[in-house]
Amino acid sequence: MSPSTDPIPDVCPELGVAVPVAAIDLELRKLWEQDDARTNASLMNLVVYSEKPGALIENSEIIRSLTRDHACRAILVGIDRTEPTPSLRAWITAHCHLADGRKSVCCEQIAFYLTGRVTGRFRNTVFAHLNSDLPLVFWWQGELSDILTESLVRVIDRFIIDSSAWVNPAASFAIIEEVSGSNPDLIIQDHAWTRSWQFRVGIAGLFDDPVALQALPHIQEVEIIHHPDHRNTALQVLAWLAVQAGWKIISNKGTIALESSAGSAITVALHANPASPPLSAVTIRAGATQVQVTQKAGASHVERTLDAGAYHATSLSPIDPTTSAELVAVQLARGGRNSLYQKILPAFRAMLEA
Amino acid sequence: MTTPNPFREDLVSRSRAESCSIVIFGATGDLTHRKLIPALYNLAVDGELPTGVKIIGFARRDKSDADFRSGLEELNRKVSRSGHDSEIWGNFIQNVSYHTSEFSDPAGFRSLAEKLDAIDADHGGKGNRLFYIASAPEFFDEILVNLKNAGLNESKPGCWARVIVEKPFGTDLATAKHLNEVVNDTFQERDTYRIDHYLGKETAQNLMVLRFANAIFEPLWNSKYISHIQITCSENLGMEGGRGGYYEKSGALRDMVQNHLLQLLSLVAMEPPTDLSADGVRDEKVKVIRSLRQWDTPEKVAQNVIRAQYTAGHVDGNPVPGYREEDRVSPQSNTEAYVAVRLLIDTWRWSGVPFYIRMGKRLPKRSTEISIHFKEAPCVLFNAISGGVPGSNVLVIRIQPDEGISLRMVSKIPGTSLRLEPVKMDFHYATSFGKGSPEAYERLLLDAVAGDATLFARRDEVEEAWKFIDHIERAWHQSPNPPPMAEFVAGSWGPKEADDLLHGDGNAWRRL
Repeated sequence: MSPSTDPIPDVCPELGVAVPVAAIDLELRKLWEQDDARTNASLMNLVVYSEKPGALIENSEIIRSLTRDHACRAILVGIDRTEPTPSLRAWITAHCHLADGRKSVCCEQIAFYLTGRVTGRFRNTVFAHLNSDLPLVFWWQGELSDILTESLVRVIDRFIIDSSAWVNPAASFAIIEEVSGSNPDLIIQDHAWTRSWQFRVGIAGLFDDPVALQALPHIQEVEIIHHPDHRNTALQVLAWLAVQAGWKIISNKGTIALESSAGSAITVALHANPASPPLSAVTIRAGATQVQVTQKAGASHVERTLDAGAYHATSLSPIDPTTSAELVAVQLARGGRNSLYQKILPAFRAMLEA
Repeated sequence: MTTPNPFREDLVSRSRAESCSIVIFGATGDLTHRKLIPALYNLAVDGELPTGVKIIGFARRDKSDADFRSGLEELNRKVSRSGHDSEIWGNFIQNVSYHTSEFSDPAGFRSLAEKLDAIDADHGGKGNRLFYIASAPEFFDEILVNLKNAGLNESKPGCWARVIVEKPFGTDLATAKHLNEVVNDTFQERDTYRIDHYLGKETAQNLMVLRFANAIFEPLWNSKYISHIQITCSENLGMEGGRGGYYEKSGALRDMVQNHLLQLLSLVAMEPPTDLSADGVRDEKVKVIRSLRQWDTPEKVAQNVIRAQYTAGHVDGNPVPGYREEDRVSPQSNTEAYVAVRLLIDTWRWSGVPFYIRMGKRLPKRSTEISIHFKEAPCVLFNAISGGVPGSNVLVIRIQPDEGISLRMVSKIPGTSLRLEPVKMDFHYATSFGKGSPEAYERLLLDAVAGDATLFARRDEVEEAWKFIDHIERAWHQSPNPPPMAEFVAGSWGPKEADDLLHGDGNAWRRL
């Protein structure tokens, strides 16, 4: 390969020291022997996979920030499948942060760049460098590909995706369903779902109020305003409302409508607005009662309001994270089985196919 | 029956916090300004405070809402864990108001009831209420009686009225019983939340997880494998800021051991609860306190409890006065600034295992920890080696600062010869999780609003703890031949007598 077409030079400060793949463990040990004052911390294996050109260096920056709060062994994988010649290169580095302003806590990172037909090599290379006993969190960036196989998914504990980045989410979810059959414990975390957290908490909080709760059986309309790139987030919120409230989904010629458990119709209005954050408003109306969670473009807070005649209650909460790094940080911090997502997934997929 | 909110289901794995009005008695005090309001504000920052929560400060000093809010803001800017966001604060503080009244004035409570009714009117006449008694303890009685007389202890159908009571919960068994009777005459026990902020700390909560979610520890957690257990709470501060006045009336035993340290002891020593409900956990905790062997004669107290005061010395390189020379402390003071207690728990699990608790002021550093000292491994294999096996396994649970867990074990030193040295496996919350833990008061306030009393003390726990403490206090202050008051130099690790207490059992205090 000529140097001019090589996207990553051997000397790449962002990725650390270039090392032979066979010598990664040895080189990592040397890295730690250089300085006794550093503590190697790791709570998980975090594999970040991307087929986007240049992603390896971007992801190294993300890991630098992520490891402040989430100690891990990071394994970055960049792949160029358009390059016919098979190759495999590796770099190692450590991201260090001062904990409590005194102790240097470090997390090691191994970066792999693969070209050519890579399916088997990729899987085995990753497997060979996992920290034993620690869970495997696999962050898949972008569209799914045939690299995602059942034998890979079998060893993953937590699978992080962003369904908003998919051209055909219905098809991609079908792939996940197919390859995850042998791993029923697989936890899926979707950035699209995480982006609606404060909206869901806000709606739930507003319905704690007896005034809103009384109006629940009489809901007539749900209106959601979202960014055009984040329709999945809007649909997931809608699916969540429907599943939790026991509403039936009725799809008709590309439109979605809902029916309450008492059989009354609930109108659904989804509006895409290019000036909107992922979600800018979720409004639920029942007669004179209106429950609304809003986020203005550029705002630093989400506003929750409940209006019922003369009664008005309002409060603020933080906005949901926006960058991929922040979303992953939040997902890792929350942990858990993400069972609510699993619960609404069938309804969401039904809406995708409406 | 209230219809459950379906949108809450599966959203978070904790009890649901409900909208309510929170009335804080003693609203002009330090606790309100430094802990309670910043805790509620931080809950708002995290989006955890339910919409519609109203906070009413109740105190004697005449103040306007604006004055009260401005004082709260001034301190929140200094102490809030998450900093101070003007927009969130602006939204939060508009729900905070001030109510001026003497605690003894029934009319002040009636007008409070009217104010709360007006707030409830917005909720269709319904409303939940949480009363936080953060005043000086001498006012507890009259606050509770006046709450009852104003009908504020009664909840409306489908709603709740709860009370949080701050420590000290009595000064002995008799006063604790009296206070419990007054509280229970006003609120039901299930609506009474006796706060012990140590139980809100992350590591204290993690104790149950460590013991019952890890299969490797529980089989070893008994007298067969454990030699002894130490609980240490050391403070490097003395009586700065006029604390001597309060401390003279309480002392280390009543101030810390009766509540915080016995609570930690019960978490360490309890049997697995049948479930994680408040009463499931508290049923097991109280059994531990009830099983404490009573030091019910001055002789037993002398053998098992050491009290001491510090003399002038150095802490952090600075000269500090002796306890009796401290501000607001009597030169003839008979109050202990240090206490070490040897405890025995008469259960099958803990038969013959001593528990040692020590708490002291002006010790070398601030630290609270629990250390589990395991019995030594049979040395048949290594007894021929020079030095033998260096020490037994010790599991340390650090409560503060630097919350975490460490395990000491023995390892071979690399080399051709066989030499053994202790090594430490260390887990630090801050290093591993990065994300800061919420303040104890945040967790506890949220639990009270959500009706989860697991981390609060129940009446019988408090009374059983006082029963144990009272024997010691009586021996010290009412017996004709009280056990002596020992001395130690400020900045050292306590008196020699406390070391001897452990030496008698063949043990030694862990060096922190």
